[in-house]
Amino acid sequence: MNTHSGDLEEQVVVFQLANQICGIGIGAVVEIIRMEKITQVPGAPDFVEGIINIRGRVIPVIDLRTRFEFEALDFTDSSRIIIVETGDTTVGMIVDAVAEVLKFSSGNVSPPPGIISGAGSDYVRGIVLDGDRLVILVNIDGILKKTEIEDLEHILSGPEEPVQQGV
Amino acid sequence: MFSDAEIGIFLEELEEKVQVINENILILERREANSAVIQEIFRAAHTIKGSSAVMGYDKMARLTHELENLFDRLRSGALQVSTPLVDTLFEALDTLKLLQKEIVAGGGDNGDIEAVVAKLRDHHNDNCPSPTLDVAAPGAEPVVVEQPDGLLESMVREAELKGFHAFRVHVTLDSDCQMKEIRVFLVFETLQQSGEIISSAPPAEELQEGRFGHEFSLVLLTGDDLDQVKNLVLSIAEIKSVMVTPIQFRETSIQAEKEIVKNNNGPAAIERQERQNIKTVRVDVQKLDTLMNLVGELVIDRTRLDRFAEIFESKYGSDELAESISDISNHLSQVSRDLQVEIMKARMLPVANVFNRLPRLVRDVAQKLGKEIDFVVEGKETELDRNVIEVIGDPLIHLIRNAVDHGIETPLERETAGKPRTGTIHLKASYMESQIMITITDDGRGVDVENIRRLAVKRGLCDEMQAARLSDREALEFIFAPGFSTAGTVSDISGRGVGMDIVRSQIEQINGSVEFATRPGHGTTFTIKLPLTLAIIKALMVGLGDSVIAFPLIYVVETIIIKPTDIKYVRHNEVVVVRGKVLPLHRLREIFNGQQDVEQDKLSVVVLGSADKKIGVIVDKLIGEQEIVIKSLGSYLGQVPGLAGATILGDGQVGLIVDARSLIKDTGVEDVAYAAAN
Repeated sequence: MNTHSGDLEEQVVVFQLANQICGIGIGAVVEIIRMEKITQVPGAPDFVEGIINIRGRVIPVIDLRTRFEFEALDFTDSSRIIIVETGDTTVGMIVDAVAEVLKFSSGNVSPPPGIISGAGSDYVRGIVLDGDRLVILVNIDGILKKTEIEDLEHILSGPEEPVQQGV
Repeated sequence: MFSDAEIGIFLEELEEKVQVINENILILERREANSAVIQEIFRAAHTIKGSSAVMGYDKMARLTHELENLFDRLRSGALQVSTPLVDTLFEALDTLKLLQKEIVAGGGDNGDIEAVVAKLRDHHNDNCPSPTLDVAAPGAEPVVVEQPDGLLESMVREAELKGFHAFRVHVTLDSDCQMKEIRVFLVFETLQQSGEIISSAPPAEELQEGRFGHEFSLVLLTGDDLDQVKNLVLSIAEIKSVMVTPIQFRETSIQAEKEIVKNNNGPAAIERQERQNIKTVRVDVQKLDTLMNLVGELVIDRTRLDRFAEIFESKYGSDELAESISDISNHLSQVSRDLQVEIMKARMLPVANVFNRLPRLVRDVAQKLGKEIDFVVEGKETELDRNVIEVIGDPLIHLIRNAVDHGIETPLERETAGKPRTGTIHLKASYMESQIMITITDDGRGVDVENIRRLAVKRGLCDEMQAARLSDREALEFIFAPGFSTAGTVSDISGRGVGMDIVRSQIEQINGSVEFATRPGHGTTFTIKLPLTLAIIKALMVGLGDSVIAFPLIYVVETIIIKPTDIKYVRHNEVVVVRGKVLPLHRLREIFNGQQDVEQDKLSVVVLGSADKKIGVIVDKLIGEQEIVIKSLGSYLGQVPGLAGATILGDGQVGLIVDARSLIKDTGVEDVAYAAAN
């Protein structure tokens, strides 16, 4: 047993998404807000619900249901936007409900089962057994992976030439 | 080690001085130099030498020392300005810049200076019959090795025994220092609080009478350490720089430093002025952006407070309470507006930051091409948002290069055409309404429209029919088309055909515009219009369903109301005829969410225009003009097609800003041409 990682305590914000219980590392969570009016952005990927104003900053909001390819439902009173920040990217993620903050020892994390593959596997960092429930630890970087957007950008801007001198 | 702040100050000073040297060498080259110019360079080199030595950048100190020596000889007339000399000076300057870059990059000054130093020395020796090469600058060494004369040495050694340090303090006064004697007095007075001054050069009497240049040095015995001494001196006003170096004795003596300063109780109580060297702080632009965001929020809160005041008034009538709320709200709005203006100002830099690089560019390119060019710069002090300044550098360099390469003819051609041999390029920046206008004018050969038409056809940008049909103005627009080059031959200076379109797109990206006018045989003028700031634009706000959308006002030509029956079709495109001109139409609803318009008997159309192209956009309703703060959509979304960004509306909601430029551009030239022909 790895004594270093075995004793590390982790905290995650636990939230509900469709019939799944998920957790997201608390270090990345900036704040959790109620649903507010989201301005739709035409031309953005379909999982991007739109943009909101957080104290003067424009923050994109993604619908985690759409991102995880769950059935899209209307938002409810318990729907929340979790604002997360990784690197220089800040986004909001819409989840069905936010439950609690869960503490666990990193020794209790098992790797994602091999059955999960394809698109979903990028999003899952591991699984925690908490009593009789399974908490899926989501991988923020995986969710925010920009491949699709980058592709889009690339197509749109084309192979732009570096600025050079000449008429 | 030095703190980042100290290095920052050093680098700022370095930048400034390098620029001074650059400008003055250019003057020197034009042989218009007088002693003031040489003096200026000499001083700049001297300052760099001093500060870089203190900072431990020995190579830079050595290089500037050589420069200083050379200019000392120029100053005294022992050396004459010659073309090879100027070339060497430029080479030295380039090396200096290289060292500067290395220091900025965080390393030491590791560049190779030997070649240049050797050249500088060659010049030094060339015209000088009795070379007085002092190999190393006194200040260039970390430790001054004194040549002791018995008295000084014995005093220093004695002091050292008592635990005092001996420092050589070299003080440089501001060049515009008015009362040198007073500064000297203050320096002496201040240092005597710290220890004992045992000698000075020039002698104390001369110093007290102000009979010296702008610098002097003295020997101080003190219990304080080097930095304390330095700070003490810097606390005095009008001190440009001070170099403090520890003194150690070795070997024999030559240097004469016999004057021992007596305690001097000069005129008492001279008002001490505030520290002069630190009046500015360096702030990350991002911090300013954050401040701007917060001010924006303040404005939104103010709007909300306003609404409350209204509710209060309607509920309780205009009683005192309601009135004081609106008072508070008004005051808040004033304060937040001032705050916004101040923060905007803090982001401004003089355009000189870019312009100063250009004279050298013109010189180099002109020399390479064998052209004679007068480069006149005006309006350097015009201030622009630093983001704008960062962007316009490349386009400007490009346009200037073009002017030198394609615009101005060779001296021979010019003479044949009956013009003066020397061409002129005029660069001017000025304010125009709420914009900055930069014009680049050359008196060269101008642009031949027929030539452009031919080339456009040759490059496959249009067919002959189309080319013939285009007006001269439209045809000239082709120079901004991708892949268009007017240069017959490809030179290494310009003419790879990837230029003008990028110039235009770079300028338009920051909501600017570039146009040009030309008269064959007389020259060409490029006019660049730039917004004062990138952060705030004027916009026309329109409604689309329940959302609010902004059109940058600089692209809005007018708004018109049309009836659905006015809409005609050209091929599959909707158009409307406005004052006899055909205007292609778009529907914002379709652009934004692919929905059909609701049937209305009147349609609001926003007419957008850029260059000579115009299009109309049908919107749900017109709201009005407003100043908006542009926000990016964030790194996650990046660039979204059709959008130029977002803005926070008065109620805290986010509104989208239409990328009017691409909308206009993406309406094919052909459609327009076709529509125009019918």
